[in-house]
Amino acid sequence: MINLCDDRYRFLVAYAAALSVGHTVLLPSSRAEQVVADVETANAGSYRIDDAAIDAALEQTSTAAINTRIAADMTAMVGYTSGSTGQPKRFPKLWRTVQGSNERNAASIRAGIADKNAAVWLLATVPPQHMYGMEMSVLLPLIGDMAVHAGRPLFPADIAAALAELPRPRVLVSTPVHLRAIVASEQEFPQVDVIVSATAPLDQPLAAAVTAKLGGEMVEMFGSTETCVFASRLTAREDQWQLYEGVRLEPRSEGTLVHAPWFVEPVLLQDVVELLPGQRFVVRGRSSDMIEVAGKRASLSDITRRLLAIEGVREAAVFQPEPDAVGAIRRVAALVVAPNLTSREVLDQLAAGVDSAFLPRPLLIVDQLPRNEVGKLPRENLLRALRRE
Amino acid sequence: MSATQSSQHPVAQSPAELELAELIVNALNLEGVAPAEIDPEAPLFKTGLGLDSIDALELALEISKRYGFQLRSDDENNVRIFSSLRSLAAHIQTHRVTG
Repeated sequence: MINLCDDRYRFLVAYAAALSVGHTVLLPSSRAEQVVADVETANAGSYRIDDAAIDAALEQTSTAAINTRIAADMTAMVGYTSGSTGQPKRFPKLWRTVQGSNERNAASIRAGIADKNAAVWLLATVPPQHMYGMEMSVLLPLIGDMAVHAGRPLFPADIAAALAELPRPRVLVSTPVHLRAIVASEQEFPQVDVIVSATAPLDQPLAAAVTAKLGGEMVEMFGSTETCVFASRLTAREDQWQLYEGVRLEPRSEGTLVHAPWFVEPVLLQDVVELLPGQRFVVRGRSSDMIEVAGKRASLSDITRRLLAIEGVREAAVFQPEPDAVGAIRRVAALVVAPNLTSREVLDQLAAGVDSAFLPRPLLIVDQLPRNEVGKLPRENLLRALRRE
Repeated sequence: MSATQSSQHPVAQSPAELELAELIVNALNLEGVAPAEIDPEAPLFKTGLGLDSIDALELALEISKRYGFQLRSDDENNVRIFSSLRSLAAHIQTHRVTG
């Protein structure tokens, strides 16, 4: 099942229905039409479900018995990443795997709540369709015994209003992009008990500012589509990540191998980490092909490949310029050699296969790429071309 | 970019629409987009200018600074308000506190 429901309640209904009949939920790396279609093609017999389909199904009363037993070894979902080769990479998750990590997610959130027996209420600003949103707003209600708001508020005023609809203790599940907007706004907020952030690194000053504005404990989660969450930290007060109990990291030349008792096999991440005493670690770098914009990940070589697939595009270079101001959102930039196309035409075609967060801005049409004398594209040359020097 | 220039352009923007167009282009670093040339009736998001939810957040912040009110997206007018420069400008004119 490709679950495209916007409404979180309907998404949950669809997901629970899929689990009860043994269907796996597929999570394309974005909801761009071509990306969804690729996943559909790769999985014969898959089908799409959206809000309207759930509404139609809910109108039909059924007396059929519902299977509430989920086999531990059932493939509960498959996360996709865009991958550098252009072929989406699939990461299947067994039910016992998602159960393992989400029991610990629930525990790390509950650690920040004084009343251990209270019913916890979640509000998420992220969609349920990627791994973080899936874990925090779909699996926590199913596994962690928490309730979730059906909405997905965007603007600070929307987030404040949705929070006010929830009883305490309330938990805000968000990302650095949304949290930055909250801190910058003059909006007043109801007291929050725990704020959860993931998808992109949260800096300590922002974490402290969020805590000052919303109250509560700031818990940052560390994970990926490949692994689900496996570590967390209280970012306002510490910079080291604490591994979930039972997780072990093994540095490798090409990244870090993650071991967890609930994994089917160890998972290799491209992050380079430094291990510290007490089951802690810090991140020292990441493979430069994978980039993050507003909490979404993509591969620069995949975007480049999609650009080159557009008729009329001869050459293309995609890269991430430095942020020009603290807190500014870093978009990727692109230089494209396409004599008969405008920048807008190239972007319109690219939009079918690339999430909007990664559409290059600016995308400059150039006569030639700024290669050096040996034909390479040094970063300095790319930046100079971007400044039109 | 002056109002005179925009009035010479075939796309007729009101002064309030031009002011908003300038705010959008500056806030979002839309290189190569001339504020006066934004079609007031073309979509701002997805197609048209191609803005996304990250832009919407930045825009909401700039609008609250300039006009003194907080944008909301979850009321039923959401789709209509963000459908074009014209509708967003009209929404601002009815809700502005300052600016």
